[in-house]
Amino acid sequence: MRWFFRRIATCLVLAWAVSLVVFMTLHIVPGDPAELLLSTGGIAADPVAVKELRIKLGLERPILDQYLSFLGGVARGDLGTSLVDEFPVTKEIALRLPRTLELILAGTLLAVVLGIPAGTYAALHRGGLFDRIVSGAAALLLAIPVFVVGTLLVLVLAQMLKLMPAGGYVAFAQDPAKHLTLLTLPAIAIAKSLAAVVFRMTRASVLDALSKDFVRTARAKGLAPSRVLLRHVIRNSLTPVVTVLGLHMGTLLGGTVLVEYVFNWPGLSTPLLRAVEARDYPMVVGIVLTISGLFLLINLIMDLVYAALDPRVRAA
Amino acid sequence: MKRLWLPGGFVAAILLIALLAPLLDLPNPIRQDIARRLSGPIPGSPLGRDEFGRDVLSRLIWGARTSLGVAFASALIAGAIGTMIGLVGGWFRGIGELLTVRLVDVILCFPPILLALLVVTLLGPGAATLILVLSVLYVPGFARVAYAEVLSARSNDYVEAVRALGAPTGRILLRTVLPNIAGPVLVQFSLAVAAAVVVESGLSFLGLGVVPPAPSWGLMIRGARATMEQAPLMLLWPCAALTLTILAMNLLCDALRDWVDPRTPARRPRLRLVDRLLPGLLPPAEPKPETVLDVSGLTVEIETPLGAIKPVEDVSLSVRAGETVALVGESGSGKSLTATAVMGLLPPAARPAAGAAWFGDRDLLRLSEPELRRLRGGAVAMVFQDPMSSLNPVHRAGDQVAEAIRAHQEVSVADAKARALDLFRRVGIADPERRLNAYPHELSGGMRQRVMIAMALANRPRLLIADEPTTALDVTVQAQILDLLAELKRETGTALIFITHSLAVVAEIADRVTVMYAGQVVEQGPVAQVFGTPLHPYTRALLGAVHESDAAPVGIPGVVPQPHAFPTGCRFAPRCAHAIAACSAAPPPLEEAAEGRLVRCIRWTDLAGAKAA
Repeated sequence: MRWFFRRIATCLVLAWAVSLVVFMTLHIVPGDPAELLLSTGGIAADPVAVKELRIKLGLERPILDQYLSFLGGVARGDLGTSLVDEFPVTKEIALRLPRTLELILAGTLLAVVLGIPAGTYAALHRGGLFDRIVSGAAALLLAIPVFVVGTLLVLVLAQMLKLMPAGGYVAFAQDPAKHLTLLTLPAIAIAKSLAAVVFRMTRASVLDALSKDFVRTARAKGLAPSRVLLRHVIRNSLTPVVTVLGLHMGTLLGGTVLVEYVFNWPGLSTPLLRAVEARDYPMVVGIVLTISGLFLLINLIMDLVYAALDPRVRAA
Repeated sequence: MKRLWLPGGFVAAILLIALLAPLLDLPNPIRQDIARRLSGPIPGSPLGRDEFGRDVLSRLIWGARTSLGVAFASALIAGAIGTMIGLVGGWFRGIGELLTVRLVDVILCFPPILLALLVVTLLGPGAATLILVLSVLYVPGFARVAYAEVLSARSNDYVEAVRALGAPTGRILLRTVLPNIAGPVLVQFSLAVAAAVVVESGLSFLGLGVVPPAPSWGLMIRGARATMEQAPLMLLWPCAALTLTILAMNLLCDALRDWVDPRTPARRPRLRLVDRLLPGLLPPAEPKPETVLDVSGLTVEIETPLGAIKPVEDVSLSVRAGETVALVGESGSGKSLTATAVMGLLPPAARPAAGAAWFGDRDLLRLSEPELRRLRGGAVAMVFQDPMSSLNPVHRAGDQVAEAIRAHQEVSVADAKARALDLFRRVGIADPERRLNAYPHELSGGMRQRVMIAMALANRPRLLIADEPTTALDVTVQAQILDLLAELKRETGTALIFITHSLAVVAEIADRVTVMYAGQVVEQGPVAQVFGTPLHPYTRALLGAVHESDAAPVGIPGVVPQPHAFPTGCRFAPRCAHAIAACSAAPPPLEEAAEGRLVRCIRWTDLAGAKAA
């Protein structure tokens, strides 16, 4: 239990550190955001307009004052309004976050469902045809950037073979079948590196577990092979796989930005990219904070899963 | 090393092409020629032209220059800053560590592309922004590696020595520590370059990295994506270039890591082709009714890349109900392999090549796996040497015992648990209710071995094989476990095969003893007789060694030969003080010296006579 509370506390400290970094970045980076925002196209901004915008953004107030109101806003869930269309940032995020979450969940699920059995089979038949082919494929999958995979999927499956729609989104409530069809390709693109990583880690840790003394003990007890495999080999191989899943969540979350862009999936990345181009600070800050917070949360969950899997961690 | 050449060569070739781009006489990569937009291969443009009529090959090569330039620049900056941070943090620890290593760790709380987008918002896209962002992203990686290496390096003798000489801190860090952490930092550098290429291309693909019209692979894919219906090939070239580069870099990273950190030796020691003796194909003897287990002529063969070896050869031994037979020998004498062969638990490469192991009227060596499985843990059980590694760390001790019961008996989970509790009591585990729910790491070594014994006894075995069950334990605990085994054997009438290298233990627990050397039985007989009048020089040497200390027989010069290097004649001859020329000429037979006493030595009568005289 002490372990649990310490882990939660660490997570909160990190969340605070993240918000501080985001806030500091806005104020440390050289140049005046207001001036930058208004001087697109190389023409110097009107000083009066800059002054007005600075007041609107609260940049005229003392920095500590600004920080406290920023922190208060984050705590209340109020992330300001968009500079482009005055739309509340929190509302925009609330609308789009579930779609991004769905993509992440589908991708992770796909990666686990493919990676763990494939990794186990490859380990049990080490050096066999399956092992060699899939290990090679995993190295290739890890090397192809996610947006290349996405683009090639669209090119081959949508443009050339006309098997799948090129992208888009339909709400699940509106048309479940269409929704899932549209989810398929983005989920595959998201899952590809993670599946390769899970495969590699599972293969390595199953191979490791197979040579363990407790597996010999399990066999010496006369357990059925399936039980030895499930309870003593795979069960014990899961802990490193969970660790690796957590480590790759950052890449995965970054990948969603690219995948949503490639497949026109209306998650968080559309407003994020639009906001980055329009220098809509409140929107960028809001979304970056949200996804980073999500990242911390996923890592916390991974650690809890890890502790659930391995009693030795709980004791420490 | 070999694995380094191919990807290394590929990466070097890409680097060379990128570096030499200005000298290659390529068309201007940003000159537009709308008239020839999206044309296929034409003279002067082997890969065709893009949506603005720009030469694709030229943009590909100049794009490599951009991508790799950005990646190397940012990895170099991150490497320099991160390594310094790690060095300082690792050297000063305390507050220095907090302000350096722990502080940059906050960067790791951001998904990389997100942090990049935040900075791009503020600074606008461009190569300079990219380099800044990517450097920041990879600082923590270098800082961590350098920090960890400094921590391990600072405790090393050579660093201690330089410190003791009073050298200034800065000089120690740069001159002594830095060169020694170069390997891991180099690996980190290659990882950072590969990762930077990925992030750079991703951001450029989003239109937020390299600014057009400058060529970049990410931008080329972005451009070709708009026209992929008309010109799909245009998309393939930059995709292939990017993927191949990253693949080569990843492989190079893996190879570098193996090279810097050879955790597993790449190659096993070369085995010399064994001199294959004639296989001792004894006709399997008939089962003897009075014995529980009767092993005769057991030979275990292991396939190695350079031929088969026989680490166990022609071993015979038997054990009756209620009797304890000790199997004694140094490490590598084949004791454990003999036991695992009987259990049907040989490692995949090994197989029983000859002989039989009669358990009742069944030959354990020839049973099918399902039949064998019903016996294992049931009528035949085994206790292993190291109870820590032999228990599964993630399951409760009681569950692991209950599991053994349910593998052989149709009982409910609750009943199995209740029986496990009884067993815990019987093997003398204090506070058994609580221990039932304990995980192995919460138990002491002796307690764990008691759990292992409870597990082995779960189904009332007729034969119990204990493979050095006390070796990993404290001396006082050893005695308790031996007492426990003796007591349980008396109560249940189980036949016990006790494998050990300790003769003191043999004297305490066994009725008969089989001494093994280099895969063969060299002497066999009742404990009192073998200890009283040892016939084989090896037994005598073992006993001599024991009198001096309780530990392994240090008194015998040399070590047990490896299976691929067994001498042709007597295998003990090279270490034997009494060896004569005839000993090495031919393998000595196992002779019956007296009723129930066997010895494998051609000189045993001479030596016995000499001793008597």
